[in-house]
Amino acid sequence: MVPVVVQVLQSLVVLLLSPLYVSVLARAEAIVGSKRGPSVLQPYRDLAKLLRKGSAVSDQASWVFRGAPFVAFACYLTVSAIVPVITNDPLPLACLADLIGGAFVLALAGFVTSLAGLDTASPEGGLGASRASWIGSMAEPALILVFFTVGVVSASDNPYLMNHAIAHSPYALVLPTHVLGLVAFFMIVLVENGRIPIDNPAGSIEISMIEEGRVLEYSGRGYALMKLFLLSTILMSVFVIPWGLGTSNDLMSALVAIPVLAGKLALAGAAIVVLDTSFAKLRFFRIAEFLGAAFLLALVGVATSYVIGA
Amino acid sequence: MSQVEQLSATSAAGVLLDLSGVLILLAAFACLGSKLLNRYVAYYGAQSVVLSFAAAVAAVTFHSVELWILAGLTLALKGIGIPLATRRLLVQRLELKRDVAMSTGLSTALIAGGALTAFAYLVTRPQLLPHGLVANAVVPLSTAVILLGGLAMVVRRHTVAQLIGWLIVENGVFLGAITLVATFPFIVEAGIFLDIVAGVLIMLAFVSGITRQLAEASSTELRELRG
Repeated sequence: MVPVVVQVLQSLVVLLLSPLYVSVLARAEAIVGSKRGPSVLQPYRDLAKLLRKGSAVSDQASWVFRGAPFVAFACYLTVSAIVPVITNDPLPLACLADLIGGAFVLALAGFVTSLAGLDTASPEGGLGASRASWIGSMAEPALILVFFTVGVVSASDNPYLMNHAIAHSPYALVLPTHVLGLVAFFMIVLVENGRIPIDNPAGSIEISMIEEGRVLEYSGRGYALMKLFLLSTILMSVFVIPWGLGTSNDLMSALVAIPVLAGKLALAGAAIVVLDTSFAKLRFFRIAEFLGAAFLLALVGVATSYVIGA
Repeated sequence: MSQVEQLSATSAAGVLLDLSGVLILLAAFACLGSKLLNRYVAYYGAQSVVLSFAAAVAAVTFHSVELWILAGLTLALKGIGIPLATRRLLVQRLELKRDVAMSTGLSTALIAGGALTAFAYLVTRPQLLPHGLVANAVVPLSTAVILLGGLAMVVRRHTVAQLIGWLIVENGVFLGAITLVATFPFIVEAGIFLDIVAGVLIMLAFVSGITRQLAEASSTELRELRG
């Protein structure tokens, strides 16, 4: 019974905290830039408003457009179940997929979002879908290689087992393989979440938008689900910090892990805020160089593992 | 899980040296991939700071006073002195912020850098390394840093950027030296160190003189000066 409760609690934590995290990041960036910024509760108000509103669907749209938010949201719930966020004791659903399977599930979500963007034949949707696919075609190989670097260190491809291996051996954390993989992963997180070197999270400017373009046609409830899906991906990336997770399968340790999670999020957020405020957005076709560098670092990480024999 | 146990058997100093090696390689990549000259110099400074940390770790491991001195010198001269001097010369006096002059594209340079790193791993196979090394990964990493510094010298057109490429090569040599041959005579190591730093400072002064006269320090233009 308790593992099931923890499983549900984990998904709920991801679901409820992700809008807050994004808004706290936006607020912190505004403060660094000597502005006040919106309230940290703004995303919740937006979501509540969207859920109350009806949605307008183009009469050209097919079932693909209407179904896509639900598929994308389901994919996101699945990933929140298989990634260790508040406990590193394998949860009942942990056997669903390993990390590569999780990447596939997220890729499926991206795929249906792109289909929905193309479905209404609006120019913005097609533009967003084309850009997102172009970036995805370079981000995915790099992401898989990053999983290889962590897999080499921990001799496993299950996120829970990886977590165990790294949390129990502090040396593994500073191994060259792991450090290179971590830097590459951070670069990919920036890409997948449209942070500053890639895309400007502060506003959606038509000419440069990537993720927002695909969901531009949505309104009301469908948009709320899509929005939540976009907001969530950044929060789940924090599972690479292995400490502070509940170790046993009881409810108490899982509850204690939630404030620790907030601390870890703050740590990762600080790095993102510094990057966001000190760099300029890259020209679109230079994103290939950025992702090429991420791929290269992960590749060097895997190569290193052969030399140090681990 | 057996691999993890094997990892924790490594000494703490070895892990720290490996880690510094990786950070130094990352800084070399950052140098190669940055277009702005002031950022290029800042990454070089960060690389030297990590290198002085590595030298301090080696000093603790080998109980060597000389390495402590070298670590201090590295921090003071290469970590702080050269980046500051270059910044003052280039960015403030010559008002030069950009160095877009590269003989290849940025992605070509990065891919070539990756190929050179792979080559460094190919030539330093783990089987060929001597036994009882403190940090195994440092050997291919320092080789890669040497090659990347050479690559930076090749692809950059600006003379000062080429000089800093040379300093990256020197960092790679130093990193390999403190890990592999800790018994290397101090006077030789310090002599080489000071030679290179003095040489670079003289060349910086020289280049600044040329630049003031010609308003140009690209190596393609400097070729015009031949007699």
